[in-house]
Amino acid sequence: MPKHIVRLLVLIAVVAIVAIAAKKILTADTFYQYGHYRGNAVAEIASKVPKLQGSASCQSCHKEVYAEWAVGIHRKSTKNGVVQGVVIKYGPNCEVCHTGPAGNHPSKEAMPLSVEDKVTTITHLEHKVHPANVPGRNLMLSPEDMRGICLNCHEKLEARPKEQRQVAVDSHSGKEPCTTCHNPHSPRVNFAALPRPPVDPNTGKAIPVSAVEAGKAGDANAGKSVAAACTACHGEAGVSVNPAWPNLAGQHANYLADSLRAFKSGVRKNDMMSPMAAGLSDADMRDVAAYFAKTSCSVTGGDKAKAGQGKAKAAAAGCAACHNAGGLRGTGAAGISASQASSGGYYQTPPMHDTGAAGISASQAWPNLAGQHAGYLASALKSFKDGSRNHAVMSSVANTLSDSDIDDLSAYYASVSCK
Amino acid sequence: MIKLPSEEKMTTPDANVEKEKGSLSRRGFLGLLGKGAACAGVLVGAGSAMGSPAAAGGKRGFQQNDEQYAESVNNPPKVPDYNWNDHQWAMGVDTDRCIGCLRCMEACKMENSVQMDAFHYRTWVERYVYLEGSNTAIVDSQADPKNIENTGSETKFRFDNRYRNVKVEKAFFVPKLCNQCEHPSCVQVCPTGATFKSKDGPVLIDTTYCIGCQYCVQACPYGARSFNESRGTVDKCNWCYHRITKGLNPACVEVCPTGTRIFGDRNDPESPISLFIRNNHVQVLKPEMGNAPNVFYKGTDKEVV
Repeated sequence: MPKHIVRLLVLIAVVAIVAIAAKKILTADTFYQYGHYRGNAVAEIASKVPKLQGSASCQSCHKEVYAEWAVGIHRKSTKNGVVQGVVIKYGPNCEVCHTGPAGNHPSKEAMPLSVEDKVTTITHLEHKVHPANVPGRNLMLSPEDMRGICLNCHEKLEARPKEQRQVAVDSHSGKEPCTTCHNPHSPRVNFAALPRPPVDPNTGKAIPVSAVEAGKAGDANAGKSVAAACTACHGEAGVSVNPAWPNLAGQHANYLADSLRAFKSGVRKNDMMSPMAAGLSDADMRDVAAYFAKTSCSVTGGDKAKAGQGKAKAAAAGCAACHNAGGLRGTGAAGISASQASSGGYYQTPPMHDTGAAGISASQAWPNLAGQHAGYLASALKSFKDGSRNHAVMSSVANTLSDSDIDDLSAYYASVSCK
Repeated sequence: MIKLPSEEKMTTPDANVEKEKGSLSRRGFLGLLGKGAACAGVLVGAGSAMGSPAAAGGKRGFQQNDEQYAESVNNPPKVPDYNWNDHQWAMGVDTDRCIGCLRCMEACKMENSVQMDAFHYRTWVERYVYLEGSNTAIVDSQADPKNIENTGSETKFRFDNRYRNVKVEKAFFVPKLCNQCEHPSCVQVCPTGATFKSKDGPVLIDTTYCIGCQYCVQACPYGARSFNESRGTVDKCNWCYHRITKGLNPACVEVCPTGTRIFGDRNDPESPISLFIRNNHVQVLKPEMGNAPNVFYKGTDKEVV
C-alpha cells in the first residue's frame, strides 16, 4: 500500500480513537440511562431541601399564635360547620402572609424573636438548616407592611370572585391600620374582644404603655394651673356642670391631648373649644390632659330602661370592640384600662363573651365612655353621623345607628361605672 | 435540465457519455440504498414492535428507546422513599377561585430562589378584564409597569386597582405555570439534553448541562420559561420536584389560600387532581399545539391562551 494512504488511514484511526475516547470520558456515566439526559440529574434535583415548612412546623415554637390561628377564620372559613363560599377552602397557612418564614426565617440577630429562648435554637424539622436571613425580607416589618399584606387578598378588585371578602379601603378604615380592629391571625372581629395593643414589630410582644407614653407624658401639677381656664365649664374635678359638655375626669390623657390638638388645628371645630385650644402650647395640652386624667370620675347615671337596650346594642354595633377593656387579652378586670395591663397578657385566649370593663377604652388614643354625660355622648354620635365630625371608624359606625340606638347607647355608657 | 451555453461549449461528446453512464449508476445506487433502508426500517420496526413497552403494559417516555424505558422501570433514580414508576403527577387550576393575591408567585420565588423581580418567574398570574361593550380582554400581570408602580417596588407583587372607576363587563384571574407537557417542545429542541421529561410527569432542567442557548424559551408555546442571567441557565417550574418527591405539595399549592391550585397523583383515583378532573369540565391551554399539557384549567374563558 502506498505510504501516503497508510498515513491517511493512521491519521483517520487516531482521530477516531481520540473522538471515541473523548466521548466515553466526557459523557456522564448516566447520560443515556433513561433517555437523552443525565440520569443522575433526577435524583440531584429531587435532593434539594424544601424551604416552605407548613404551619405545623411553625407550631413547634409559636404555640400561642398557632392556637389563635387554628380557631380563627383564617384557618378555615366555616359558619355553623359549613364551608362558606367558594373561595376559602383551606385558609391561608402561616407562610401565605409570613412569606417563607422557615426558608427565610430571620436569624436570632436579625430578629430577636426570643418570646421564648427556644426559638433561638430552632432547627426546623430534620433538615438542620437555618438559612441566613435575607436583608429587607423579614417577616412583618411595620403596620404599613401589614396593611399591604391584608390588601393582597382583601382589597376590592373587579377581577376578584365575589365570594372573597373585600373592602374598599378608603371607606372601610381610612388611615387606620387593619390591625386596630382585626387580629390578623384570627381576623373576624370579635366585638367582645379588644383591638390589638400596639405590638413591637421586632419582637411580636405587646409594647407596655409606659414605653409608648414615656416620651410625652404631661405633668399633672403643671396642668393644674392651665386647667383653671377649663374648670368653669368642665368642673373643678373634671365633672362638667352641663350634660351637653363632656366630663374629663379620668379620661385617657392621650385622648384629651389629641382632642385639644384637633381643636387647635381645626380638624375638630367647636365655637367654645376652638379658641380655648388655640392659645395652648403642646406642653400645656399634655399637662392639662394629665391633670384631668388623674382626677377621679363620678357616675352621672342614665335612663335605666334605655341603658338595658343600649348594652345589647353596644355589643352588636361593635362599640365594645374599642371602648371596652378586657377582651382579646382577657384582662377583663373592672376599672383597669386594658392598655395599662397590656404587656404580658397579649397571647391569652380571648374570652368570647367577657366584655371586660365596659366603657373603658383599650387604647390611650380612644376615649373612655363610662360615666360620660348621656347628652354629650348622643351629640357626639350625631355629629359623627351627620358628618360634622369625622373619624374613619366612628363615622361608619355612627352611620349604622338610628336615633333611638344613639339614645340607648348614650344612656348605657352614662350608667356604667367608670371606676 | 437547462444548460447554460458556457457549459454546453465545454462538454465533449465523450464526457457526455461518461456522464450518462455515471448518472445511471448513481440512480441505481440510490435506488438500492432506498430499498436497503426500507428493509432495515421494516426490520427495526418489527424488532421494536416485538420488544415494545406497550406489550409490557407501560408507557414509553418522551423520546425514550426500549432499553432506556426498561432501565427507567427496573432501575429508577435513587431518590429516597420514592419511585417514579408509582406516580403520574398533574395539576389543576380552578380559575373561579383565584383572587389574584400572587402569594403563589412569591412563595415559588422563595422556594426555588428565583430572581426577586417582576420579570423572572416560574409561575405567574394574569388578569383578564372585559370592559363594558368590549369583546376583547385587556390582560395584565404583575410585570405590568402600572402594577409595579402601585406597589412601589419590583420585589412586591400586587395587582393595582385601575378598574375601580370603569365599568367592567367581566374580569377574572388566571394563574399560569409550566404545563409539563406530554410532548414538550422545549425538550425536543434542547441540544444538550439539559431539559428532559421525567417518568412521573414534570419536565426538569439539569442546570449543569444547560448552556443557556434559550432555544427552549422560544420553543415553549406557553412562555413558561425564563432565563436566569445570574446563573446563565434557563429556569422554569418543575412542580417543586424536590418537594413532591418528599410527599409535600408544590410551594404554590401549599400557600394558595383559596384552593385554586389542585395537585396530585393521577395514578391514585381518589387524589385531589383525579377528583378535580373527574368532577369538573376541564380544558388545557392551546390544545392545538399538540403538546398535551398536564395542567388542567376549569373556568377559563375563550381568550385565555
